[in-house]
Amino acid sequence: MLQSAKSNKRTMESADRAVGFLLSLLSLSIFSYYTFWVIALPLFYTDHFVHKYFLPREYAILIPVFAGVALICFLCMFIGYVMLKSKKKKA
Amino acid sequence: MKHIVKILAVVVAISASWLGLLQTSIVSQDYTWLLPIYFIVSLGCYGLFMVGIGLMQFPTCPQEALLLQEDILEAKDFLKQRGVDVGSD
Repeated sequence: MLQSAKSNKRTMESADRAVGFLLSLLSLSIFSYYTFWVIALPLFYTDHFVHKYFLPREYAILIPVFAGVALICFLCMFIGYVMLKSKKKKA
Repeated sequence: MKHIVKILAVVVAISASWLGLLQTSIVSQDYTWLLPIYFIVSLGCYGLFMVGIGLMQFPTCPQEALLLQEDILEAKDFLKQRGVDVGSD
Protein backbone atom coordinates (compact mmCIF):
# COMPACT_ATOMS: atom_id res chain seq x y z
CA MET A 1 0.00 0.00 0.00
CA LEU A 2 2.90 2.34 0.70
CA GLN A 3 4.35 1.79 -2.78
CA SER A 4 1.09 2.64 -4.54
CA ALA A 5 0.76 5.78 -2.42
CA LYS A 6 4.27 6.81 -3.43
CA SER A 7 3.65 6.29 -7.17
CA ASN A 8 0.32 8.13 -6.89
CA LYS A 9 2.14 11.02 -5.29
CA ARG A 10 4.80 11.05 -8.02
CA THR A 11 2.18 11.25 -10.81
CA MET A 12 0.29 13.94 -8.90
CA GLU A 13 3.49 15.90 -8.48
CA SER A 14 4.33 15.67 -12.20
CA ALA A 15 0.74 16.63 -13.11
CA ASP A 16 1.05 19.70 -10.87
CA ARG A 17 4.38 20.49 -12.47
CA ALA A 18 2.87 20.19 -15.96
CA VAL A 19 -0.11 22.42 -15.11
CA GLY A 20 2.21 25.01 -13.57
CA PHE A 21 4.44 24.97 -16.62
CA LEU A 22 1.46 25.36 -18.97
CA LEU A 23 0.12 28.25 -16.89
CA SER A 24 3.42 30.13 -16.89
CA LEU A 25 3.87 29.50 -20.63
CA LEU A 26 0.35 30.80 -21.30
CA SER A 27 0.94 33.92 -19.20
CA LEU A 28 4.27 34.66 -20.91
CA SER A 29 2.77 34.24 -24.38
CA ILE A 30 -0.22 36.47 -23.54
CA PHE A 31 2.11 39.11 -22.15
CA SER A 32 4.47 39.12 -25.13
CA TYR A 33 1.62 39.10 -27.68
CA TYR A 34 -0.13 41.98 -25.92
CA THR A 35 3.09 43.99 -25.52
CA PHE A 36 3.93 43.57 -29.18
CA TRP A 37 0.36 44.43 -30.19
CA VAL A 38 0.08 47.63 -28.12
CA ILE A 39 3.63 48.99 -28.17
CA ALA A 40 5.56 47.65 -31.14
CA LEU A 41 2.89 47.35 -33.82
CA PRO A 42 2.17 51.12 -34.31
CA LEU A 43 5.83 51.60 -35.17
CA PHE A 44 5.57 49.44 -38.32
CA TYR A 45 4.40 50.69 -41.72
CA THR A 46 0.71 50.05 -42.30
CA ASP A 47 1.37 47.78 -45.28
CA HIS A 48 3.90 45.59 -43.45
CA PHE A 49 3.05 41.88 -43.55
CA VAL A 50 3.13 41.44 -39.75
CA HIS A 51 -0.11 43.41 -39.39
CA LYS A 52 -2.12 40.47 -40.68
CA TYR A 53 -1.15 38.38 -37.65
CA PHE A 54 -2.74 40.86 -35.27
CA LEU A 55 -6.36 41.98 -34.95
CA PRO A 56 -7.22 45.68 -35.37
CA ARG A 57 -6.18 47.73 -32.38
CA GLU A 58 -9.68 48.43 -31.07
CA TYR A 59 -9.75 44.78 -30.00
CA ALA A 60 -6.74 45.44 -27.73
CA ILE A 61 -9.13 47.35 -25.49
CA LEU A 62 -12.33 45.37 -26.11
CA ILE A 63 -10.94 41.92 -25.30
CA PRO A 64 -9.47 42.75 -21.83
CA VAL A 65 -12.52 44.80 -20.86
CA PHE A 66 -14.85 42.02 -21.97
CA ALA A 67 -12.79 39.44 -20.09
CA GLY A 68 -12.80 41.59 -16.95
CA VAL A 69 -16.57 42.10 -17.09
CA ALA A 70 -17.10 38.36 -17.65
CA LEU A 71 -14.87 37.58 -14.67
CA ILE A 72 -16.80 39.98 -12.40
CA CYS A 73 -20.12 38.50 -13.58
CA PHE A 74 -18.88 34.99 -12.89
CA LEU A 75 -17.67 35.99 -9.41
CA CYS A 76 -21.01 37.62 -8.55
CA MET A 77 -22.96 34.60 -9.79
CA PHE A 78 -20.72 32.24 -7.81
CA ILE A 79 -21.08 34.28 -4.61
CA GLY A 80 -24.85 34.46 -5.07
CA TYR A 81 -25.09 30.72 -5.70
CA VAL A 82 -23.05 29.89 -2.59
CA MET A 83 -25.12 32.27 -0.46
CA LEU A 84 -28.39 30.77 -1.72
CA LYS A 85 -27.16 27.24 -1.11
CA SER A 86 -26.07 28.02 2.46
CA LYS A 87 -29.37 29.75 3.21
CA LYS A 88 -31.33 26.78 1.86
CA LYS A 89 -29.29 24.37 3.97
CA LYS A 90 -29.89 26.40 7.14
CA ALA A 91 -33.65 26.71 6.57
CA MET B 1 -10.18 53.74 7.55
CA LYS B 2 -6.52 54.74 7.36
CA HIS B 3 -5.92 51.87 4.95
CA ILE B 4 -8.62 53.10 2.58
CA VAL B 5 -7.14 56.61 2.68
CA LYS B 6 -3.73 55.20 1.81
CA ILE B 7 -5.07 53.20 -1.13
CA LEU B 8 -7.07 56.20 -2.37
CA ALA B 9 -3.96 58.36 -2.17
CA VAL B 10 -2.02 55.87 -4.31
CA VAL B 11 -4.84 55.72 -6.87
CA VAL B 12 -5.06 59.54 -7.02
CA ALA B 13 -1.28 59.82 -7.45
CA ILE B 14 -1.22 57.28 -10.27
CA SER B 15 -4.13 58.92 -12.12
CA ALA B 16 -2.58 62.36 -11.68
CA SER B 17 0.69 61.14 -13.18
CA TRP B 18 -1.23 59.53 -16.06
CA LEU B 19 -3.14 62.77 -16.74
CA GLY B 20 0.12 64.72 -16.57
CA LEU B 21 1.65 62.34 -19.09
CA LEU B 22 -1.39 62.84 -21.29
CA GLN B 23 -1.18 66.64 -21.17
CA THR B 24 2.52 67.15 -21.67
CA SER B 25 2.78 64.27 -24.20
CA ILE B 26 6.25 63.01 -23.33
CA VAL B 27 5.27 59.82 -25.15
CA SER B 28 2.76 60.05 -27.99
CA GLN B 29 -0.91 60.34 -27.03
CA ASP B 30 -1.91 57.05 -28.64
CA TYR B 31 0.30 55.15 -26.23
CA THR B 32 -0.80 57.11 -23.19
CA TRP B 33 -4.47 56.27 -23.74
CA LEU B 34 -3.69 52.55 -23.76
CA LEU B 35 -1.28 52.61 -20.81
CA PRO B 36 -3.74 51.82 -17.93
CA ILE B 37 -5.26 48.82 -19.70
CA TYR B 38 -1.78 47.61 -20.61
CA PHE B 39 -0.70 47.76 -16.97
CA ILE B 40 -3.79 45.93 -15.77
CA VAL B 41 -3.33 43.15 -18.33
CA SER B 42 0.36 42.83 -17.49
CA LEU B 43 -0.49 42.66 -13.77
CA GLY B 44 -2.90 39.81 -14.48
CA CYS B 45 -0.24 38.05 -16.53
CA TYR B 46 2.30 38.50 -13.74
CA GLY B 47 -0.12 36.98 -11.21
CA LEU B 48 -0.78 34.00 -13.46
CA PHE B 49 2.95 33.56 -14.00
CA MET B 50 3.62 33.55 -10.25
CA VAL B 51 0.87 30.96 -9.72
CA GLY B 52 2.44 28.76 -12.40
CA ILE B 53 5.91 29.11 -10.90
CA GLY B 54 4.58 28.32 -7.44
CA LEU B 55 2.83 25.20 -8.75
CA MET B 56 6.02 24.04 -10.41
CA GLN B 57 8.14 24.56 -7.29
CA PHE B 58 5.68 23.14 -4.77
CA PRO B 59 7.61 20.93 -2.30
CA THR B 60 6.21 17.46 -1.72
CA CYS B 61 8.30 16.33 1.33
CA PRO B 62 8.53 12.62 0.46
CA GLN B 63 10.08 11.55 3.78
CA GLU B 64 7.36 13.23 5.79
CA ALA B 65 4.71 11.62 3.57
CA LEU B 66 6.23 8.19 4.25
CA LEU B 67 6.34 8.85 7.99
CA LEU B 68 2.72 9.98 7.83
CA GLN B 69 1.65 6.76 6.12
CA GLU B 70 3.47 4.73 8.78
CA ASP B 71 1.77 6.77 11.50
CA ILE B 72 -1.60 6.10 9.90
CA LEU B 73 -0.96 2.34 9.87
CA GLU B 74 0.19 2.40 13.46
CA ALA B 75 -2.88 4.37 14.55
CA LYS B 76 -5.19 1.98 12.69
CA ASP B 77 -3.62 -1.05 14.40
CA PHE B 78 -3.80 0.64 17.79
CA LEU B 79 -7.46 1.53 17.39
CA LYS B 80 -8.36 -1.91 16.01
CA GLN B 81 -6.82 -3.50 19.09
CA ARG B 82 -8.98 -1.27 21.23
CA GLY B 83 -12.03 -2.36 19.26
CA VAL B 84 -12.68 0.80 17.20
CA ASP B 85 -13.21 0.15 13.49
CA VAL B 86 -11.62 2.94 11.47
CA GLY B 87 -13.34 2.06 8.22
CA SER B 88 -12.25 1.47 4.60
CA ASP B 89 -8.71 0.67 3.54
